[in-house]
Amino acid sequence: MTKSLIYSLIFHSMMILLTVLTLPFMIRQPIDLPPIVSVELIQISDKTNIPFAPKARKIIKETKEKEERVVSEQAPPAAKAKEKPDRIPLPDEKKEKKQIVKKKQNPEEIEPQIRQSSEFEKKEIIDTNQIAALIDKAKEEEAVKKNKTDKLTQSSVKNSFATGLTLSEEDALRAQIFGCWSVPLGLPYDEDLLVRIKLKLKKDGTIMKSEILDHQRMNRPGQKFYKVLAESALRAVRLCQPLKVPPTGYDKWKDIQLNFNPAEMLKG
Amino acid sequence: MKRFFLAIAIYFLSYNPLYALIEVDITRGNLDPLPIAVSPLHVDIKSVEHEGIKVKELGNNISSIIEKNFKNTGLFNPLKKEAFVQKPDIAHLKPRFEDWRLIKAQALVTGKLLVKDGKLKVEFRLWDLTAAKEMTALAFTTTPSNWRRVAHIISDKIYERLTGEEGYFDTRIIYVSESGPKSERIKKLAIMDQDGANTKYLTLGNELVLTPRFNPTNQMITYLSYFRNMPRVYLLDIETGMQEVVGNFPGMTFAPRFSPDGKKIIMSFAEDGNSDIYTMDLETRLVERITNHSSIDTSPSFSPDGKYIAFNSDRSGLQQLYVMRSDGSNVKRITFGKGIYGTPVWSPRGDLIAFTKMRKGRFYIGVMRTDGSGERLLTENYYQEAPSWSPNGRVLVFYRETKAGSKGEGFTATLWSIDITGYNERKLSTKTDASDPSWSSLLSK
Amino acid sequence: MILNTNLKNIFLVVFTTLILSACSTAKKSGLDGDVYTGKETVKYLASGVPDRVFFATNKSSLTTASRATLRKQATYLRKNKKLNVTIEGHADERGTREYNLALGERRANAAKDYLMTYGISGKRISTISYGKEKPVNPGSSALAWSQNRRAVTVKVN
Repeated sequence: MTKSLIYSLIFHSMMILLTVLTLPFMIRQPIDLPPIVSVELIQISDKTNIPFAPKARKIIKETKEKEERVVSEQAPPAAKAKEKPDRIPLPDEKKEKKQIVKKKQNPEEIEPQIRQSSEFEKKEIIDTNQIAALIDKAKEEEAVKKNKTDKLTQSSVKNSFATGLTLSEEDALRAQIFGCWSVPLGLPYDEDLLVRIKLKLKKDGTIMKSEILDHQRMNRPGQKFYKVLAESALRAVRLCQPLKVPPTGYDKWKDIQLNFNPAEMLKG
Repeated sequence: MKRFFLAIAIYFLSYNPLYALIEVDITRGNLDPLPIAVSPLHVDIKSVEHEGIKVKELGNNISSIIEKNFKNTGLFNPLKKEAFVQKPDIAHLKPRFEDWRLIKAQALVTGKLLVKDGKLKVEFRLWDLTAAKEMTALAFTTTPSNWRRVAHIISDKIYERLTGEEGYFDTRIIYVSESGPKSERIKKLAIMDQDGANTKYLTLGNELVLTPRFNPTNQMITYLSYFRNMPRVYLLDIETGMQEVVGNFPGMTFAPRFSPDGKKIIMSFAEDGNSDIYTMDLETRLVERITNHSSIDTSPSFSPDGKYIAFNSDRSGLQQLYVMRSDGSNVKRITFGKGIYGTPVWSPRGDLIAFTKMRKGRFYIGVMRTDGSGERLLTENYYQEAPSWSPNGRVLVFYRETKAGSKGEGFTATLWSIDITGYNERKLSTKTDASDPSWSSLLSK
Repeated sequence: MILNTNLKNIFLVVFTTLILSACSTAKKSGLDGDVYTGKETVKYLASGVPDRVFFATNKSSLTTASRATLRKQATYLRKNKKLNVTIEGHADERGTREYNLALGERRANAAKDYLMTYGISGKRISTISYGKEKPVNPGSSALAWSQNRRAVTVKVN
């Protein structure tokens, strides 16, 4: 029995060896190739950054300032919005038409580098809502200084009793912001992203000043996701204003910090 | 004891309610796609007619492509144009932010184009409407026939600015176009834009072709052809139509894929019925044997750094996933779950492996970490397999087949895509039945 | 020794019952467990020489019936010395395409090796795998799949 098995094995392996050796010769005919339909790949030439014509910028600045004058700071946004369509278009449009012409006249006045740089690095345009204070040097320092105390507050003063908002007041505020915050769904679900925004509020709940506590991180390379999250958080507070704040105790809540953490949602 | 009281006193002093900073944790938001308005691009009146292109409609057409791209991501909600409040040319210069906010848009895309002297000039701007700021802007010059690609490139730039990751719109998908009855399928290599436009066929359908895959550099594809009834891996330059057999193997080579640098092809070679993994260097023509095992080793895929190879093998008795170093050493089994696993594909980000899983007669597409942990099944179906990553590692495209009747009736093969979150499953539109999709990397970087 | 005979007896009983139960299923669907045993799709190289053998899911081992078929093919090939054949290996549609190509190759080679042990020169036998690409039965049923898991011997000249 074992003998025959061994014979069989030897025989088998010899056969296999033989096939291995002979097979290549069987197939080594010249291989011509199946017909192929070719497709052209197109190249895009000249990719440039659009120059933002300096004049246009000036005009925009002017209109901005004008808008500010027209719309009183205290006016709630709803009213502001209603006012707009009727009032502004005429002068606005005239200006803008002028602007088109001007822009075409001097295409040489171009500063290509400016374009690529992030909005937050630019000291342009006075923001209507006065929340552009993102990159302000002074604030940066302040933020660094505050960092320590922030950590303390986070750990020790979490309950609303100590913070000066009642639970229901805090819930109302939270619910309001939940509704305004479009969570950027493309964020990686497993990265630790937390954006802390400090707000200075007016009595009516509109925002006087907003500041991202770790905003240096936004322009660091490899922190694109953080930047996207920070921008979405800023959009949320802007969309939400005036914030639903209690009618009294302004001193307690004039400074408020919002911690945006999407981790829970993205894991969903 | 005194110190203790002092500490408490200090505590209360420093956290006097008057000075305490109120903190509110925001852990929820709305998961609706971001409302975005894509204004039609303004067509400069100095534009002249160009052969084969409706210049006047170009602005609308480009913005429609951008809108469609955004809608397909599931991350954005392009708003209806009827609600738009400003003319394209004026909006492009300076939008009236309040007005756009009224229609609940949070971002706005504006642009203009000029067709002149046989060239197409396009520029666009992306505006953050709540911050009343321009977020990004760019201009392109190209030949007018490239207008679709311009739309995709604009989509990519905006996507990148709004999500923080690279886009995937200026890409193509190569796949196998199928027609005819199930038992006599005619299969051709086909290529199309990511959105299904510009379908072109690369082979005539005379021989069976399977599993085309893109080179990360986009010029080449590798695929399996049964030309002259000899199944071999081929290399094809899409641009020139040049092609060649990869290596001189005395038997079937199959399951090809490029290395991340595009310089090698990794594939299986079947010798006396046993399939092992080999690589061939496309420059030196050097063939290297990577695995040597009496089991079926196939569907190899390199990690993006080129240091590791994932593959499936039935050395344990059933098809499972393994990872090894690129020289074939240190083979580790990574799947131990119930079921059979196949077609591991390393994500371009490097952190995940996509795979096909078969269990109890159902097929799943899933992702797991590269050590096999954290398995997440994204979609379940009667039959589906062969995931391929979008270049940014966010979306998978794969193919699905339906159950056929006793004579093969009702059989279809279609391409589908799904986000790695498991949301946003979509059927890709192809002109014919389709299988074996492979996603290119971005055509322009 | 007595233990040994006892074991043998038990084995025999189990074996016969297995065969009997297999017969009863075979009557119903033409399946021996997972392996097709019917004649529906079978063609013949010559009278009494079936051209194909069938396999169990994910397997490439030859069943007793397959061996008998292949022995008939070997006899036929010995008689027709100038005849060369290609063995086409196939898989059912319930696997990934690439694995199925490998599996078809393995099946074709299992048949080839068996023919070679019966004295047929390897030079006369080539193999090719079609994986799941060429189903003989286009249906999506257990029966169709069993008919598609096959190695078919095809005359070349």
